[in-house]
Formats: sequence, structure tokens, C-alpha cells
Amino acid sequence: MNAAPASYSEESPVQKTQYGRSRVARAMHDWFPPLLSAVIGLGLWEGLVRYYAVPSYVLPPPSLIVVEFISQWNYLIVQLGWTVLAAGIGVVLGIVIGVATGAAVALSDTADRMLTPWLVVIHAVPKVVVAPLFLIWFGFGIQSEIFFVVTFTFFPVVVATITGLKSADPDVLQMVRSMGASRSQVLTKILFPSAMPVILSGIKLSISLAPVGAVIGEFVASNQGLGHLLIRAVGDMDTALAFAAVALFSVFGVLLWRVAEKIEQMLLPWHPSQRGGAKSH
Amino acid sequence: MNNRSTNNLRVDTPRDGRIVLDQVRKVYGGAAGAVEAISSITLTLEEGQSVSVVGPSGCGKSTLMRLIAGLDDTSSGAIHVGGRKVGGPVPNLSIVFQRDLLLDWRNVLDNVLLPAEIKRLDIKAARSRAADLLKQMGVAEFSSHYPWQLSGGMRQRVSIARSLLPQPSMIFMDEPFSALDAMTRDQMNVLLQEVQIATGVTTLLITHSILEAVFVSDRVLVMSGRPGRIIDDIAVDFPRPRKLSLRETPAFTAIVGRIREQFVKTGDLVG
Repeated sequence: MNAAPASYSEESPVQKTQYGRSRVARAMHDWFPPLLSAVIGLGLWEGLVRYYAVPSYVLPPPSLIVVEFISQWNYLIVQLGWTVLAAGIGVVLGIVIGVATGAAVALSDTADRMLTPWLVVIHAVPKVVVAPLFLIWFGFGIQSEIFFVVTFTFFPVVVATITGLKSADPDVLQMVRSMGASRSQVLTKILFPSAMPVILSGIKLSISLAPVGAVIGEFVASNQGLGHLLIRAVGDMDTALAFAAVALFSVFGVLLWRVAEKIEQMLLPWHPSQRGGAKSH
Repeated sequence: MNNRSTNNLRVDTPRDGRIVLDQVRKVYGGAAGAVEAISSITLTLEEGQSVSVVGPSGCGKSTLMRLIAGLDDTSSGAIHVGGRKVGGPVPNLSIVFQRDLLLDWRNVLDNVLLPAEIKRLDIKAARSRAADLLKQMGVAEFSSHYPWQLSGGMRQRVSIARSLLPQPSMIFMDEPFSALDAMTRDQMNVLLQEVQIATGVTTLLITHSILEAVFVSDRVLVMSGRPGRIIDDIAVDFPRPRKLSLRETPAFTAIVGRIREQFVKTGDLVG
């Protein structure tokens, strides 16, 4: 996390001048090993598939996947758009419901006793198993998908919110009480800000789960999106297209994680995980 | 630290008056495992006085402070602050704790402004007062820093600035300097004295350092080990401002010796 400034601060002055002198050499040093490894891996894949003449519907060579990727680009992007839409709405709903439920459980004993058993039981149900039920309940289409995404995104946020709100420093709470703080002031000025790092880690986890939920939802209850594309491609024995969809999905997942980290960095400049290279006095 | 102007620290709000304890007793725990923390303390603290409470650890001196501040209920007896019976957090009182308790997610200035937000004071006026206080505490250049970027001594200075922001008539301090190194602690004692001279705020300092208690206070209360009782009450009338070198004078050492003697008598200190 925040790797560049962190490594910068750990450098001795001597290394710093080296950094200035040979930026290119340093980039080579950083990027060469993973690049080399990618070339070797993909090269082996391509070579073996061609050498043993593996049919492309079993395992397409990387070159064919790239060709497919380019020729089907528009189709792939539109389907990705549907998946992102379902995942996006689902993640927002999951966060809102999750934070609200978590806050209720953390702040009220009654809510805790009433809701926690339900949460435990529902969480224990394997979500993939109930996906077909969503089709019955909510019908065929994006709404089923969204509900399915919510079942994935809701729980990490609930758990994080409860943990975060319950771990506020008791001495700080006593201090603001001595200042005469009201319950809502304690909540907005102490409990939520101090719970923020934990809640955000839950949100990050739920953001990374959202596309997975959306794709599984699309397997079952949609004729759009990457999940549906995948089912169709496999049905057509168009394995190269399926691989292209998976590749696109992975790239999207990585980008999503990066965005989540950036947002975390912006919201928590004070947190130990975000302090990077800045020095203490 | 020498030429700092301390004029605008002065409190304009009316005084809350004296603190009166009448046969205050505090017992923790149930009938079987009951522990008597404080046993019948009767005491009057005059307004504007600087009083220290010294005692061995676990003698109930922090409990005593919490009772007067209204953070804890007495088991029997009554406490009056400014004529009003204590039953909940006392207004016009600020507390400085052993840990500075700065909020990690707020920068220094916003930490100092916390009491103003909670008490819904005029934020614009509070801002300029906060800036003044930070200047007087010698940490003005760090107002946009986050707490983790400061040393322990600087953090406690910020915490004192925060406690002074709402212009309290009383400041209670619960071992505020015990986590600091010896030199920083000496500096903080001098700083605390400056604040007292400038504001005339009633100060109750809980400490286990006899030297600190005598240096900072007009009056030192000596507490015995559990159950806590006041076993000595000593007036300290060295003129102010006091210099750290006062601590080497015979008169000063005599008072320190008298307090130490009390602890030897009770067996809390092996002399």
C-alpha cells in the first residue's frame, strides 16, 4: 500500500542520489522480473498448445485470446458494463444496509439480541445455493442480480461496522462525556470516525466481492453481463471468448481494488496504514 | 518559553466557587468482594487554588478526582461544587488525563477545537482562541499536523490547550505527566505554573511525584494507601513564579521530607 512514498522514506541519502541518477535502471529493476515471468509463462502456454495441437475449444493459445479480445471488444465492454451496473448498485445497497444494520447492532442491546441470530443463520447459508431462489422471487433480470450482489456485499460491511463501533477507546469516550457530549455527538465525533478504518476495510472486501456476486447472478438469472456471456461462450464452445471475458473480468477486479485503495487513502490520511513515508517529530 | 505573553489566557467567565466534600466514601464491587477505595474524606478546596493530591499507586487518588468531576458516583457522603451538588459531569471543568487522548483523525487545531464543537461554542472565536493557546503552549507551528507526528510532550501540550479552550474555571489533571521523560516533565511543570498564573484557574493535580506536587501547588494533600484517607494537608506558599532551582532549597526539601515521612509511617514507603 502506498509503496512509492514508503520506500522513498526508507532510503538512505546515498540511495536517494542513486534514485535521481538512474530512474530507468530502477524501473528496469522493478519491472523486469514480472515482465520476464509473464513472457515465459505465456510463451510456454502458446508453445505447448501449438506443439501438442490442442484444439482451441479445449485450451486456446494466448494469441487467439488476444485476437478474440480485440475483435469482440465492443461486445465484451457492453457486457462488462451490465456486470458493473449490477455490481455497483448491489455494492451501494450492501454498504448502506450493512452500515445501518451494523450500527443498530453495535449501539443497541435489543437490536443486537434480535438481529444477531438472524445474521448468523443467514450468513451460514451458502449463497450460491440460493441463487436459483432469487430467480423465483425477483424474476429474470438485473433486479435478481442486484439482490444477489447484496448478499455478497452486505456481510463484510456489517461485521466491520460492528467491530469498528465497538472498539472505540473507552478513555476517549469518558473524556467526551466529561465535556458533556450528547449521544449523537459521541456517535458522529468519536464512534464513527474511529471506526472508519475498520468499516472501510469491510467496504473494500465487499467491493471486491461485488463483481463475483454479479457474475454468479448472471449465470442464473440474466441474459446480459459477463456471467451470461461466459455461459453462452461455453455453450458455443467459443472457449477463446470465454477466456477473453475472464481476462477482462480480472483486469476490472484489479482496477476496482486500486480505486478502493485510493479512496481509503483519501479518507484516512491519518491512519498508520496510510502514513507512508512522512516522518514523525 | 520565557517571553511568551500569557494575557489572553485569562478567564472572563464567572467563577464556580469552592469545592466541598462531606464524608465522601467510595466502595467498589458487590457485598462479598467489596473494596473500599476511599474512606470518609471531608475537605474544602478554595477557588483559584492549586491543589495536588499525592499518594501511593492504588490509593484512590484518581477515584477522588473522578468523584469530584462527577464521572463516578459516591457510595455515601456528598460533594458540592460552587454550591451545587455533583450528580453528573461538572460544567466549567476540564480534565487532562494521563494519556493525552488526542483524536488520531483530527489535526492538532481540530483536536483543540473539539470541546468547542461539543459545547456548541462560537467556532470563529474558538478558532482564534485555539491558535492563541497553541502559541502559548509552544506548538503553534504544528497546528495542521496530525497527533502521530508529535512527540509525547508536544501531544500533552496540545491536550492542555484543548482543556483550556472552553475557558474552564477548574482544571483537573490525572497524572498528566507521568508518561513523559524527566526533562519534559520539568518543562511541563513550569508550563503548568505559567497557565495557573495567567488564568487563576482552580487546579487539582493528581500525581505520584512528591517533587511535582510541591513545586506546582499552593496546597498538597497526602493520601494513604487503600482505603484512601487524607493523612496530611500542607500549605506551600513559595512565591510565584517559581523556578525549577527552588527544588534544591532547604525549605522545599523540608516539605518533600515531611511528605515522604508520612508514607514511611504508613508503611507505603520504606525509608
